[in-house]
Amino acid sequence: MLGKFFESLYLKVFVNVVVKNSTTDVYIELCSSKGVIDNMEDSFNTTKMSEEMLNFITSYTRETPFSYFSFLDMSPSQGAIPTCSKNRLSYYYDVSASEYKCHDKKWTHYTSKSDLYDIERRYKETGVDFVFSPFSILANFFKDKVDSHHAMYILVQEAFVSLAVFDNSELLFAQHLDMEKITESDELLIDTSDDILDLEDGIELEDIDVMGTDDSLDDFSDIEDLDSLDEIDEFSENKDVEEEFYQEEDAELAESEEDGFNEDYQRFSLIQSSMNRFYKDDKFESKFIENVYIADGVGVSNDLKRYLEEEMFLSVYVRHLELGVEVSELAREEVGI
Amino acid sequence: MKYSYITPRPKSAFTAEIQLLVTFFSITLGMLFITYFFLLFKDYTFLSDMDELAVVQSELSVNIKEMKEQITFIEKENLLAQKVYTQNTVLKDSIANLFDLVPQRITLSEAKLLENGLVLYGVTPNKDIYNFMLQAPLRSIFHRTYSSFYPAQNGWLRFVSTNYIDEEINLSQEIESEN
Repeated sequence: MLGKFFESLYLKVFVNVVVKNSTTDVYIELCSSKGVIDNMEDSFNTTKMSEEMLNFITSYTRETPFSYFSFLDMSPSQGAIPTCSKNRLSYYYDVSASEYKCHDKKWTHYTSKSDLYDIERRYKETGVDFVFSPFSILANFFKDKVDSHHAMYILVQEAFVSLAVFDNSELLFAQHLDMEKITESDELLIDTSDDILDLEDGIELEDIDVMGTDDSLDDFSDIEDLDSLDEIDEFSENKDVEEEFYQEEDAELAESEEDGFNEDYQRFSLIQSSMNRFYKDDKFESKFIENVYIADGVGVSNDLKRYLEEEMFLSVYVRHLELGVEVSELAREEVGI
Repeated sequence: MKYSYITPRPKSAFTAEIQLLVTFFSITLGMLFITYFFLLFKDYTFLSDMDELAVVQSELSVNIKEMKEQITFIEKENLLAQKVYTQNTVLKDSIANLFDLVPQRITLSEAKLLENGLVLYGVTPNKDIYNFMLQAPLRSIFHRTYSSFYPAQNGWLRFVSTNYIDEEINLSQEIESEN
């Protein structure tokens, strides 16, 4: 009773940390019982807890005992499994060395225990209250679509791409892709045709033959009906008009960021290989994907969308996302504000 | 937790500062309450003492009144005693004077002191000696004097002298003397 009274007198501070390749974004929200009253963010050129970052955080947290430190899980050994049944978890992934959490009693997201301990050790000065999976962010961000659409949802971060296929809130497939560490199995799944681009030498747009090569479409052998124009029209009917409206707003922003061309192609490659895995792996219930919703957390260029649309014939919708804000939203939901 | 892999650390509003503040205010309030209750107790004891003192005061007043009455009574007794003493002294002097009045030739055999009188029995050689040497001074003292004689065997006369002082006259004389 007295504790609740004192709690109501204090502001709640949500410190949300998103670690990128070489920087760390800290987004702070000050909340009262009525909601968010202020927010501020800063970026630090370090991936560890620096004194500058600690000073920035403590300048807001020292005034209240109710400060919550939330982290977006950056573990490369994480993912999501389309079941909550403990007996069936091992069918998809060996979770003996992982911490896992069932989401809405429908699907499970997991991460490496050692990476969790690493986060707690790395941020022991501030402590850690919440660690969220990118898949939770993705499901929450596209909540309006996930519950009623069948589509692929992609969270694009600087170093990771989190990909999930939902069919009316049921997870069919999910994969967390590390851009710096493409596993051998992924490489095998990537189309190894002659016209694959050499990323080290740069990319010549002329070299990319989007429609001309049959090999690039070999993996989509089960969509032969696309040859029919009528069927293509049906695709167009399935387009999400509302999403296109939002997309036009983001178009100018995307066009201004052309420097991420190589990364976007890398992302495209990862997505493509992941889709191949989804279609080919018998573990997963394959359903043909027409729409792709991208949660853009880094400001991807228009190329990624173009690759996906032109090479994979997908309807792509890009929504810009502030990772810190989304992490904070989950933290607030956990606390009950 | 719905989304997070880990549960948040427990948060408490009772930080070290709050604990210090609460402790400080608790001690302060405690001291205030103790002081308040002490004052209440003292007020209660003061009132009860005051009531007791009022009772004692009334008792003492009654005692004082009784003592004053006693003093008055004692003063009266003292006055009475002094009066009795004076009267006794006067009586003693009177008796001494009375015996001084009796001449050597007259012998008293008995004397009765009455409240307002004196009866003398004795032997006188003759009436003249009695009349001149004893009756004359008795008459000066008493208002009424009666004498009777009868002869004794040796030829002397036995006498009985009865003398009275009238009280009204005596009182009026006293008042006059007091005035």
